[in-house]
Amino acid sequence: MSDAEKTVPESADAAAPESAPERQAPRTLTVRVHRCGPGGANARFDDFRLPVRPEDSVLDVLDRIRVETDPTLVYRHSCHHSSCGTCAMRINGRERLACITRMLALGTDVVTLEPLRALPLLGDLMVDMRPMFAHIGDDWGYVRPVEKASTGVPHGVARYTRLENCIECGACMSACPVSSGTDDMPPPEARRGGHEAPAQAAPGADVADAPQERMFMGPAPLAALNRELARHPEQREALLHIGKGPQGEKHCRRHLACSRACPSGVYPAKDIMDIRMMHGGGKD
Amino acid sequence: MERIAIIGGGGTAAALAHDLILRGFSVAIYERGEFFSGATGRHHGLLHSGARYAVHDPEAARECIEENMILRRLVPQAMEQNEGLFVALDDEDMAYRQRLKDACAATGIPTRDYTPEQARHLEPGLADGVLAAMQVPDATFDAWRLALPFLATARAGGATAHNFTEVIGIDVQGGAVRGLRLRSLAEDAHGARGREWSAPADMVVNAAGAWAGKVAALAGVHVPIQPGPGVLVAIEGRVTNMVINRMRKASEGDIIVPQRRLSVLGTSMWLTDDPDHLDIPPEHVQRMVRLCSEMVPACAGAVIRSAWSAARPLIGNADATRPQEISRTFDCYDHGTRDNVSGLLSIIGGKGMTLRAMAEKTADIICRLTGRDAPCRTRETPLLPARAFYRS
Repeated sequence: MSDAEKTVPESADAAAPESAPERQAPRTLTVRVHRCGPGGANARFDDFRLPVRPEDSVLDVLDRIRVETDPTLVYRHSCHHSSCGTCAMRINGRERLACITRMLALGTDVVTLEPLRALPLLGDLMVDMRPMFAHIGDDWGYVRPVEKASTGVPHGVARYTRLENCIECGACMSACPVSSGTDDMPPPEARRGGHEAPAQAAPGADVADAPQERMFMGPAPLAALNRELARHPEQREALLHIGKGPQGEKHCRRHLACSRACPSGVYPAKDIMDIRMMHGGGKD
Repeated sequence: MERIAIIGGGGTAAALAHDLILRGFSVAIYERGEFFSGATGRHHGLLHSGARYAVHDPEAARECIEENMILRRLVPQAMEQNEGLFVALDDEDMAYRQRLKDACAATGIPTRDYTPEQARHLEPGLADGVLAAMQVPDATFDAWRLALPFLATARAGGATAHNFTEVIGIDVQGGAVRGLRLRSLAEDAHGARGREWSAPADMVVNAAGAWAGKVAALAGVHVPIQPGPGVLVAIEGRVTNMVINRMRKASEGDIIVPQRRLSVLGTSMWLTDDPDHLDIPPEHVQRMVRLCSEMVPACAGAVIRSAWSAARPLIGNADATRPQEISRTFDCYDHGTRDNVSGLLSIIGGKGMTLRAMAEKTADIICRLTGRDAPCRTRETPLLPARAFYRS
């Protein structure tokens, strides 16, 4: 291991005897990776067999396959610690971030990797995020003040701030049966408030078949919209007009899959219900 | 309009594309993976005040504080501007304190002293044994969302950016670059991968970060790049509001960067020739947690969310006895004067947060070489929001 050999212990701490953890033996697994061209053309699975260590994330393993076996493997990644939101995919049929999912913790001898649903396929594990961002304002904020600090604040800081917890990864879009067109719940007898029933794609149908203007914008944009409402109450009417519009909250059928899938502790289903309960937007 | 091809799709490339578009060039970026998938996305997300470098690397410290102030203005939506603390835990730290204060003063980094009581009022999670603390203008940033506005703005201005596109050759004829040989890695609609094509260019900029040596070799030239990977650890839970630094010379496990509901602990450092195979040694993970828990004990019991490696694109220095002594400043090499390959530049070194400054220096050289009289405008030109990237 050339990297390890070149490690230079530099501080007294680094040179001090460390109870170095034994590196556990790897296990050989099969990684079944979805491959395709643009639009899902020529979709198939390729199997890669390789040794996996307990500490390896799915992303670590993908990087190893790309560097050592197949440089043409297409997947998105950037921060490797669940902040950027680029590496969401379906891992053994569930939406997860590849960077924080330990391969061996999945407990299967074959690990299947597929792209997110609900978004157009660009290739292999990569989807086109533009349809999601089409419903999130460019200028909507991404930082918010901390509600109340329990401590003092340093000189020059009026209130501590936080980046939004939503990392806009698309996991909720894929998990939502409505936005992914996999909803097998029977159509509702009547819609609340006499709203027109949303266009429901048949299970398994290509979501692209549904008329664009009546399709659900998905959980992530509505969650972002609710946060923007909190930031800018003065824009309530305009924001609710979007949230309660033809592609808005009325499509939600309370599956709650979005909240379960979120890797970041956001609960989009709650945001959607908040919007549903609000008056305004020219609908109530 | 001169065509500038940029090799690499990291933060430096994005900022350079933005700068060059503002100065009237035609720009194309080529990146073999996803944008920002190298070191740009993978660092701890510290918007350095520069204090970490003030004592031993004052040039890098000055670059940091200057860019710190500029980026706070340009990309406020990518940051938690919650400031940072240096904390002293032992006599050695206390001995370093005055040197650090003097060096910060000399490099223009504002500081403010706190007593241990004041420091623990700000950050109750600090170790009981804190002897002194000093505030510096650190901040936390989201690496992806700091770089993306540069790329979004460049593309809106006409730059093209090609991800999953590998540069396989640099076309040099008669001592001058003529363009690039490229290969598409993604599958096309006909089920084919690896389609190759050529793109003409008047100038080529090697902005491949830790991979700059491999790229330079395509043109038969050498750059003194020294990839310097390190391990970072993200733990569950936010242990502090502010960034916490150990008050001693740059070493390992001396920084805690809280962000959202995480805390990022860093960093180790070693040297390698191969930035593609980055190991994540478990003993480094353990060491980062242990060293950081000396500053904030809660780090020790936290669940590890992720551990990863990133390769710093260091400028090689055979005289440095420890990797941490290698300067974190940057430099731009004109291979026309160095190697008789005109039209080829390499930008190496630097840090994630000095992307704009690296771009400015490189674009200044491109203007000089092309005889274009256009000043840098990136300090004051507003950037599009990160999400605008998905409009183009």
